[in-house]
Amino acid sequence: MRESYLISISKKISAVQLLAILFFGLSCVFAIIAIVASDVFFLRLATEAMIFGGLALSVDLLLGITGLLPLGQALFFGFGAYASALILKNWTTSIWIVLLISTLFSALMGGLAGLIAIRSKGVYFALISFGLAQVVSKVVFNSRDLGASDGIIGVPNAEILPGLTSGDPAVFFSFTILFILFLYAGLNYLLATPYGRQLIAIKTNEHRVAFLGFNTWRYKLSAFVLAASIAGVSGALYPMLRGFVSPELMFFQVSGNAIINVIVGGTGTLIGPLYGSALLTGIRSVVGSFTPHHQLVIGVLFMAVVILLPRGIIGYLAPLLDSWRSRKRNAKIQEADHG
Amino acid sequence: MDDAILKVQGLSVRFGALAAVHDVHFEARRGHITSVIGPNGAGKSSLFNLISGAIRPSAGRVQFNGRDTTGFTPDQMVKAGLSRSFQITNLFFELTVRENLRLAAQFLEHGRGLFLPTYASERSNLRVEELLEKFSLQSRANELAGYLSHGEQRRLEIATALACDPEMLLLDEPTQGMSLTDTHETETLIRELACDNLSILLVEHDVDLVMNISNHVIVMNQGQKLAEGTPLDVRANSAVQAAYFGEVREQLHA
Repeated sequence: MRESYLISISKKISAVQLLAILFFGLSCVFAIIAIVASDVFFLRLATEAMIFGGLALSVDLLLGITGLLPLGQALFFGFGAYASALILKNWTTSIWIVLLISTLFSALMGGLAGLIAIRSKGVYFALISFGLAQVVSKVVFNSRDLGASDGIIGVPNAEILPGLTSGDPAVFFSFTILFILFLYAGLNYLLATPYGRQLIAIKTNEHRVAFLGFNTWRYKLSAFVLAASIAGVSGALYPMLRGFVSPELMFFQVSGNAIINVIVGGTGTLIGPLYGSALLTGIRSVVGSFTPHHQLVIGVLFMAVVILLPRGIIGYLAPLLDSWRSRKRNAKIQEADHG
Repeated sequence: MDDAILKVQGLSVRFGALAAVHDVHFEARRGHITSVIGPNGAGKSSLFNLISGAIRPSAGRVQFNGRDTTGFTPDQMVKAGLSRSFQITNLFFELTVRENLRLAAQFLEHGRGLFLPTYASERSNLRVEELLEKFSLQSRANELAGYLSHGEQRRLEIATALACDPEMLLLDEPTQGMSLTDTHETETLIRELACDNLSILLVEHDVDLVMNISNHVIVMNQGQKLAEGTPLDVRANSAVQAAYFGEVREQLHA
């Protein structure tokens, strides 16, 4: 009796969710080892990976869930980073106020950009989102008030709680991983609601959704605004880590890397993009210390994944894990029958 | 209450030089099965697309339930109470049968509970179970829609259109590609639906089925209405015989 109860519980946690638990578990182990070893470099690198993981989550919401390919998601990431840098430098160092205001502004920006981009479909949406990011990044690049090509330097640390600031690598990594966990859990929850299911339906067959009585434009626009907010709030963490922002944060390379992180990790799985960001940020840094041509390695890896594992790492592992679990479950049931 | 649930007046649409539908007038009565027949290219599907909001008319008006619904979008038409199925099965093939129906039934919640877990949407979940039973899809509920047989997919297509509890249902060739047994079952099903006071507008190639179940038949040819009336009237109409039944008979005898 007890066993069947356990089985019914285990059935409720999907393989993807197990891999998510593993991800956050490994992050905690990593943090403990790094803190014990008084490491700074890897903690900061891992924090950066998670910040870009937030951006990848926002790309996955559009690409993997709603079926929109955003080629300019860095626009909102960079926008959040600039908003954060300006607030930290000129107004307050409270991380909560910074994150709140950056989110609101990114959402507003997302609404404006969405009104332009969501009118189009498929490749046209992709190109408009790309174009918008190019325009804004060039404006920032040429604005003296925003530091032009140098960006904004000397951004002070943000205060999380009295005595705890983003300047402490261990504290800031812990904060970032908790924050990303919060974003991940929120999106994961959203997918189980009618709203989230409609987004998936739009990706699967947008034409039919309209004939079910739903305004697809509204759903897509709201997803776009949500994705912009997530990208923006992730970007807001960036200057707290690096102490500066530059127009490069809005460039296509950042948008492109986010898409690569999503596809390598597993589109539409939400946890895949976090694995992808962790893996690829690690590879970029390690390979980058040997050769300046690390993009070559990333490019080859990307092609290999697209050809060999078209559903990405998590898209490949999750079904394997599922079939292994069901074999194990069947064996257990058989054992119970014989017993 | 007005007896006509749908009034189509002077409806036309042009695709370039082609007048796909030209100056079509007709009324469909509440609780009746009204059918549209005609040879290939007669403009039946375009007429359906005009009424359901998939395309905008070049001229003319559509009145549904006493409201002018000309130029409404598909989602606005569903909100007005008119739903449709498709000639080419148009489902969410990567989702399960239950999920297909649940997405459609979610309409009944009027946007409530949009951000609560799906199990909280009680009304739509009840509707899903009701439809699974009505369309004999319970045993397939957890299969992906893409894995169903053709007949099952056609049933799910109708069930999906019905999930929003419309006042009028547009069925676009519901028996297309079905076996004889499946066709008979679908015929019975359409009759049952009409008994529940649902108004039905049907486009169908199977003339025998149309003649069996319709209260009113509209015959189209080359984008225009050729004739209308009861099945008996239509059968007796010489213009119809020449344009349509003649062709079918020739095909049958060929």
